[in-house]
Amino acid sequence: MKAGALVENIRMSVRSIASNKVRSFLTALGVMIGTGAVIAMLALGAGAQKSVEGSLQALGSNLLIVYSGQPRGGALIRRSTTNIIPTITDTDIDAIRRLIPNLVTYLAPESSANGQAKFGSTNVNVTIVGTGVDYPSIRNVRPVVGSFFTPLELDGRKTVVVLGSQVYQDLFQGTGDPVGQKVRLNGLSYRVIGVLERKGNSTTDSSVFVPITTYKRYVSGADKYALVNVQAASVEVMREAQSAIEKELLRLHRLPTMDSADFYIANQLDLLNTLQGVAGTFTLLLGGIAAISLIVGGIGIMNIMLVSVTERTREIGIRMALGAKTGDIIAQFMTEAIILSVGGGLFGIGIGYGTSWAFSKFGGIASEVNLLAVILSFGFSVLIGLFFGGYPAYHASRLDPIQALRYE
Amino acid sequence: MIVVKNLSRHYQMGPTIVKALDDVSFTIEGGEFVAIVGPSGSGKSTLMNILGCLDSPTLGSYVLAGEEVSHLKPNQLADIRNRRIGFVFQSFNLLPRETALENVELPLIYQGVPLKERKKIALAMLKRVGLEGREKHIPSELSGGQRQRVAIARALAASPSILLADEPTGALDTKTGVEIMELFHALHKEGSTIILVTHDPGIARQAERVIQIQDGRILKDLPSKEWAA
Repeated sequence: MKAGALVENIRMSVRSIASNKVRSFLTALGVMIGTGAVIAMLALGAGAQKSVEGSLQALGSNLLIVYSGQPRGGALIRRSTTNIIPTITDTDIDAIRRLIPNLVTYLAPESSANGQAKFGSTNVNVTIVGTGVDYPSIRNVRPVVGSFFTPLELDGRKTVVVLGSQVYQDLFQGTGDPVGQKVRLNGLSYRVIGVLERKGNSTTDSSVFVPITTYKRYVSGADKYALVNVQAASVEVMREAQSAIEKELLRLHRLPTMDSADFYIANQLDLLNTLQGVAGTFTLLLGGIAAISLIVGGIGIMNIMLVSVTERTREIGIRMALGAKTGDIIAQFMTEAIILSVGGGLFGIGIGYGTSWAFSKFGGIASEVNLLAVILSFGFSVLIGLFFGGYPAYHASRLDPIQALRYE
Repeated sequence: MIVVKNLSRHYQMGPTIVKALDDVSFTIEGGEFVAIVGPSGSGKSTLMNILGCLDSPTLGSYVLAGEEVSHLKPNQLADIRNRRIGFVFQSFNLLPRETALENVELPLIYQGVPLKERKKIALAMLKRVGLEGREKHIPSELSGGQRQRVAIARALAASPSILLADEPTGALDTKTGVEIMELFHALHKEGSTIILVTHDPGIARQAERVIQIQDGRILKDLPSKEWAA
C-alpha cells in the first residue's frame, strides 16, 4: 500500500462512517462501554486495594498482636476481645519487653470487658479496655482532646479514662470540654483525661480506655491478658520479631510447637498480603467481566462490518474494476473498523474516567483510574478492531469483481 | 494493441460444460473503434470480461499492449485494469457518495498518483467531457448523460490503452445516447482505442468495425459499412 493510500483510506472511512451516523455510533458504543467498563472496574479494584492498605495502616504500623487462645481469621481487625479467655501473663510481657529495642519498639497489653458508662443521666454500653501507655503509638490513634494516661497514672492505678470518639458523642452530645469531668464505669467514678480521634471503626470509637493496672483491680480480677499489642522495630524484622516472641512464649508456656499453643500471633504483613490478594482477585474478576463486554463490542463491529461489506458489494466491484488490489480493499475496510474501535476506545476512556469519578463522588466507593489500565484497555480495543474487522475486510477482498459489479 | 488467439472460456454448469467462448481469434490495432455485437447469451459479455481483465480465459492467449495477460493472478489483473483499461458501464457505476471529481480520481488513487496531480488530471478529464463546473456534484445531483460523462472521464483518467464500453447508451434516452456516442467519436478522433459492446445494431454500425458474436463464436468480423449492408 502506498503512503498516500492511508490518508485516502482514512478519508473514505470517515465518509462512510459519517454517512451512517446512528449505526456507526451504536457500533462504536459497544466498544465504548466495553473500554469504559474495563477502566472503571480496574479503577474500582485499585481503589479497593488502596483503601485496604489505608485501613490497615490506620491500625498501626509494623503491628503484631499476640492473642490468647487459638487462631481466628481476621484477628487484626476484630478488636472485641471480651470473649477471649486470657492466657498471657506478666512473665510473657516481660519476655517480649526484653526484645526492645532490636526487634520491638513498643508493646501494650490489653484486656477488655463490656460495661456501662454513665455521665449525668446518660447511659451508654461501651467496651472497657485496659491497656498500657504505648497503646496510642502502636495502634496509631491520638487523643484530640486532653491526653492518654501517663506511666505515673498507670503505676498509680489511677481511675482515669480516655473516651472513644463515639462514647464522647453519646455521653456529652459532642459539646463541652469533657476533660476533668467524672464518668461512672460500672458504677465506679473515673476522671476523663482525654478523647481519642475518630477512627471510623466502631470498636475503637465506642470503647473507653483505662490503665491496665486499674482495669485489673476494678474491672476484672484476672492476672492474665487477652492480648498484647506489639510494634516491631521495622517492617524488615516483623517476621523475626514474630518468631522470637513465639519461641519465648512457647518456652514460658512449656509447649512444644505452635500447633498446640494457647496463643497466636497476628502479623500485619500476613493480613496485608491476604487482603491485597483478595483485592487483586476482585480486580481481576471485575476486569475480566468488563473485558468480555469489550469483546462483545468487537463482535458488534464485526457484525456491522459484514453488513457494510454486503451493502457495498457493488462499490467493491467498482473499485476492483478500477484497479483496487486485494490489499487496497482489505485496508479500506480495516481502516473503517479500526476507526470505529479506536473512536469507541477513546470515548470509552472518558466513560471510564467519568464512571470512576461517579463511583467516588456519589457511591462513596474508593476508585482510582490507573494509567496502565487506560493504555491496556485502549490497546485492547484497537486489537479488537483489527481482529473483528479482519474477517469482513478479508471477505470483501475475496469478492469476484464480475459478480460484485452485477450486485443490486 | 490487442491480439486474441484461440480464446475459449468454459463454465462448469453441473455435469455439463458450457462454452461461453469457443476458439475466438482477432486482432485490434491501436486507434481502432470496434463494436462487439451479439444477442444476450451470445458470449459477448464473457468476451468483454476477458478483454477487461475481469476474468481469465480457460484456453488461448490474450496479449494486451504487448503483454500476455491470460494467466495473471488477481492482483496482477487489477494492476492491468488500472493502467490499461478504462471501463464505461451501462449503469455508470459511479460511487454514490463521492463527488464527480473524486469519482474521476479513483483509478489514479489506486495508481498512487499524488493528490495535487490527481486533482489536476481529474479536472482536465471532466473538462474534456464537458462537465466543467460540476466537479463538486455527487452522482444523484447529475442527469443520466452527465453521470455517463463522469464515468467516461473516469475511464480516461489513467490514460488507458483501451476504452471498454459496455452498452454505454443502454440506460439513456435517445437524445442523450446520441450525445454520448458523439463523445466517443470525438475521443476516437483524438486517437483513443475504443471497444464498444452492444446488442443494438444501430449503435454497432457507428463503429469502424463490427465483430459479431453468436454462440461463443465470431460470426462476422467486418468493417461496419460492409457489416451493415
